[in-house]
Amino acid sequence: MVKKPKDYKEDFLHQGFDANRTDYSQRGYHLEVALNVNQVRKFAQTAYDLGFYIVFVAGLHVRPDEGQDKENSGLEVVYQFARYDQLYRIKARVSAPKSLELPTISDIYQGADWHERETRDLYGVVFDGHPNMKPLLLAEEDPDFHPLLKEEEKLKFLAEVSWPSAVPEVAKKEAEPETGR
Amino acid sequence: MLESEYQEHNRFFLNMGPQHPSTHGVLLIVLEMEGEYVLDPQPVLGFIHRMHEKMGESRPCQNFMPNTARMDYVCALPYNHGYVSLIERKAEIEVPKRAEYIRVITSELNRIASHLLWLGAYLLDLGAFTPILYGFDDREHILDILESITGSRLTYCYYRFGGVYQDIDDTFIAATRAFVKRLRKRYSIYEKLVTKNIIFIKRTENVGIVSPDMALRYGMTGPNLRGSGIAYDVRKNEPYSVYPEFDFEIPVGEQGDCLDRYMVRVKEIEQSLRIIEQALDRLPDGPIRAKVPKNIKLTPGDCNFAVEAARGELSYYLVGDGTSTPYRLKVRVPSYSNLSCLPELGRGILLPDLVSILGSFDLVIPEIDR
Repeated sequence: MVKKPKDYKEDFLHQGFDANRTDYSQRGYHLEVALNVNQVRKFAQTAYDLGFYIVFVAGLHVRPDEGQDKENSGLEVVYQFARYDQLYRIKARVSAPKSLELPTISDIYQGADWHERETRDLYGVVFDGHPNMKPLLLAEEDPDFHPLLKEEEKLKFLAEVSWPSAVPEVAKKEAEPETGR
Repeated sequence: MLESEYQEHNRFFLNMGPQHPSTHGVLLIVLEMEGEYVLDPQPVLGFIHRMHEKMGESRPCQNFMPNTARMDYVCALPYNHGYVSLIERKAEIEVPKRAEYIRVITSELNRIASHLLWLGAYLLDLGAFTPILYGFDDREHILDILESITGSRLTYCYYRFGGVYQDIDDTFIAATRAFVKRLRKRYSIYEKLVTKNIIFIKRTENVGIVSPDMALRYGMTGPNLRGSGIAYDVRKNEPYSVYPEFDFEIPVGEQGDCLDRYMVRVKEIEQSLRIIEQALDRLPDGPIRAKVPKNIKLTPGDCNFAVEAARGELSYYLVGDGTSTPYRLKVRVPSYSNLSCLPELGRGILLPDLVSILGSFDLVIPEIDR
């Protein structure tokens, strides 16, 4: 018997996360969550309590947008979670601060352990509280070599590598109070 | 702990690999031992790391096709499948029905080849030499069939954006039908030789039990997850290609021990044969490749595509920037997550049981290291 698919947007909104539905046929995931550094652990715990499994943790290097946020390092970390019992994928994204430190989720999802070590290898993002933050795929002799960091001329702003609909939505939010008055 | 205390407790470190036959490739596991018991097994990865993700973002997306087959070389066609489907989703390319049918037939043949190789190699790990000879004999037929249309025996680069490289012919169909018939006749051999073998059962039953919660925390997928009784298969759960048109089942185990994982894979071979039979019966006519622009532009934004490889869920995650070169290409491979539970699963067990568990996970190291 096929269970009726459930939408988890409300569950995450209820916990105070900025969750938006996306077009699955276009993007391959259902929910997009924008996190700040302090929300990462709470988000992982919420996902675990709701019964999601961890798909991957990955990095993304973009040009830091200093006009918007001076603390922005340009390194983004993407988390993906999915379910065993129905088709539902979540993508969560968090910007690493200038210190390049993010809280670990490897004590909630032990599977994140290797993914976080890999992200440190490839991008240099350090996960605070990780029990064993040493190189996994790359050589231990050269821990400061991060091959996926892009060269300066190849860097692009986050807005240039995001879906265009994300921008008008922010603009709409700012415009709404004015039209309401 | 002091060295003298170590000696008193009979504790020592043991390097298993990177040349050990039962790690199936260059995987090193550093074992902290107490007598014959494993206290803490820690896998050490990266011996054949090639940075496929960097290659993916430093060349036009077409040129990454050969790389996809070089991650999981035992079951390469699903890796082809995931990558072409990802670009097709991103560039909104419609694939002709016949091409999708050919993809399903060849992917399932490849899955059977992978399971047969695993079956032989696993039994070899457990000390039985004969099964691998039977397994390779059957697998050889699949490699010959696939070689006739793809041109390679292992690292296939057969799928193209919008279709496949070349059409299948009557010889291929006849050979595949003959193979389906042949493999079904061989089941009784495998059953007598392996499944009902008391030594094999003693080595696998109640060994390495993966609980559903553990699977969830580590993100395990594929037969390793289904052995624990969770019927999660990307082909059913997140239908892609033409899989929804076929009637097949998802075999599951009960308690998640090595024997359950073995039974799941053996039953999957029959399900793959069923899919192949149905696809051959209903194979539609028509073109095998859609018209695709020579220079595919990847629009800004991210996109994910998951397929079921022989070892579990394979996800490609792509970030486009408007050029034909991906800005970021992440490959999520199943064995990586499956193996990551070993430090928890292998604590306090006997060394021979660890060999049994490693074998039952069906690891392919080039896929883990990427």
